[in-house]
Amino acid sequence: MATEIEFGAQSDTGCVRENNEDSYRVAPEMSLFVLSDGMGGLESGEVASRMAVDTVLEHCREAEANPSLPFAGENIQGICGASNRLASAIRLANEVVYRAAQQGAGQRGMGATVVAVRFADERMSVAHVGDSRIYRLRGGELEQLTQDHSFVAEQVRRGKMTAEEAGSSTMQNVLVRALGIDAAVEVDVSEELVIEGDTILLCSDGLTRELSDAQIAAVLGECANAQEAAGRLVDLAKQAGGGDNVTVIVLRHAAKPVGAFARIGKWFKNSA
Amino acid sequence: MPKLVLKFENSVLKEMAVGSKEVSIGRSPENVLVIDNPAVSHYHARVFNEEGRLMLEDFGSMNGTFVNGQRVKMVTLKPGDSVGIGKHTIVVSESRDLDGFTSGNGGSKPAAPKINETVMLDTKERREFLQKVAAVGESAQVSPARLKIPTLVVRKGRTNQREYSLNDKLTVVGKSSMATVKLKGWFAPKAAAQITRRDDQTYYIGAADKVPSVNGVPIAHPTILKSGDIIAVAGVELEFVFRD
Repeated sequence: MATEIEFGAQSDTGCVRENNEDSYRVAPEMSLFVLSDGMGGLESGEVASRMAVDTVLEHCREAEANPSLPFAGENIQGICGASNRLASAIRLANEVVYRAAQQGAGQRGMGATVVAVRFADERMSVAHVGDSRIYRLRGGELEQLTQDHSFVAEQVRRGKMTAEEAGSSTMQNVLVRALGIDAAVEVDVSEELVIEGDTILLCSDGLTRELSDAQIAAVLGECANAQEAAGRLVDLAKQAGGGDNVTVIVLRHAAKPVGAFARIGKWFKNSA
Repeated sequence: MPKLVLKFENSVLKEMAVGSKEVSIGRSPENVLVIDNPAVSHYHARVFNEEGRLMLEDFGSMNGTFVNGQRVKMVTLKPGDSVGIGKHTIVVSESRDLDGFTSGNGGSKPAAPKINETVMLDTKERREFLQKVAAVGESAQVSPARLKIPTLVVRKGRTNQREYSLNDKLTVVGKSSMATVKLKGWFAPKAAAQITRRDDQTYYIGAADKVPSVNGVPIAHPTILKSGDIIAVAGVELEFVFRD
């Protein structure tokens, strides 16, 4: 199977904020997609998120050219090299943002979230830090592939808060993990199988604060192409209030008919 | 106030609250939490509070510090985390009633662990050992948190092996080249189902080209596997068990 990924992306300041502190990068040549939501006063949030996405891309690009490029941090067991490379890139991004935060006067509190996916054949590496999210729509079912590193999400996981309480909590914006806060960061990395028809969504919390999972699933399911879906999601989030910057990347594996006949056809072709 | 519970195998050796003062861990008697065992470095690691978060830092110890089975340098700890040092485990729990230091085993001096059960490895051996663990799934001595190995046992159907140790974060069942559980037969789907490890000990079964059943019920969404669960998909039946 040729891993053709159709992608669409959109970023918007929203209706309330003055700056867009979100950044994203698409690198289809590396099947790499990265999104970051920056934080911090003045322009430091914008700087942090831009540093984060650029560092991830740069490290992966360097590793493409030089596979023996050292990894930042210790490799994680049980995942492939590409996934470890992605984790390494994010640790490096942490280092870059952290140093900038330490050096720059008045930039205390500068930090960023990051979500990244990279495809290698049928395998997708998923990595994140913070409360930006990655979702997958498969067979009409929307599933969140990342766990927010936020205070309220941790409370819910520990059973100390219900999902409803979390949704109305004033602590929603408190992160327990982000890039640039400490000298080292723990990166969550997982691997997922990719099958034809899967739709993957990377988004900043400006989307998920405004739209429910059902609304997101409906848009991803209805839109004919990825760019249309990305645009529609951002528009809906703005209509719902647009309280924060909204950024989305939509990735889709085009559905092809795969049945017994197609497979036999392929088998004959291969054996011919 | 968070609490550290030092365990060796199933017995609790010590309990200790972490207040404003850091808890240094190591073999040297100068440490706050002393683990007298050759697998533990003299100054092995420390646990401390930083802006309301409980942090663990490994001091570049010889045999490493593991959190939930993964080697760490500096991490934030949360309740329920299992810290592996040598053959000892420190479990992090939340405590409101405990202040300062108490000792387990009715206040008596904790029993010294048997030295012959300890694993000591130098840097090179450790690296080789960890590679071997990753390759064979023989997750043994170094990391107590991973003593139980999640395993798929084939009960029915045509596959390339009878048993599979789940060492990777992603396990695919199907004909695909990346499948661990390789299905045989012309009509077997490329990717029938997937098993993912989200947290270190939680395994989820999810649908791919097919919707698997767990204990006879088709899953509606990714479902946590329990020991003894029977997965049925694409003509095969797999039992999920934790092996010692």
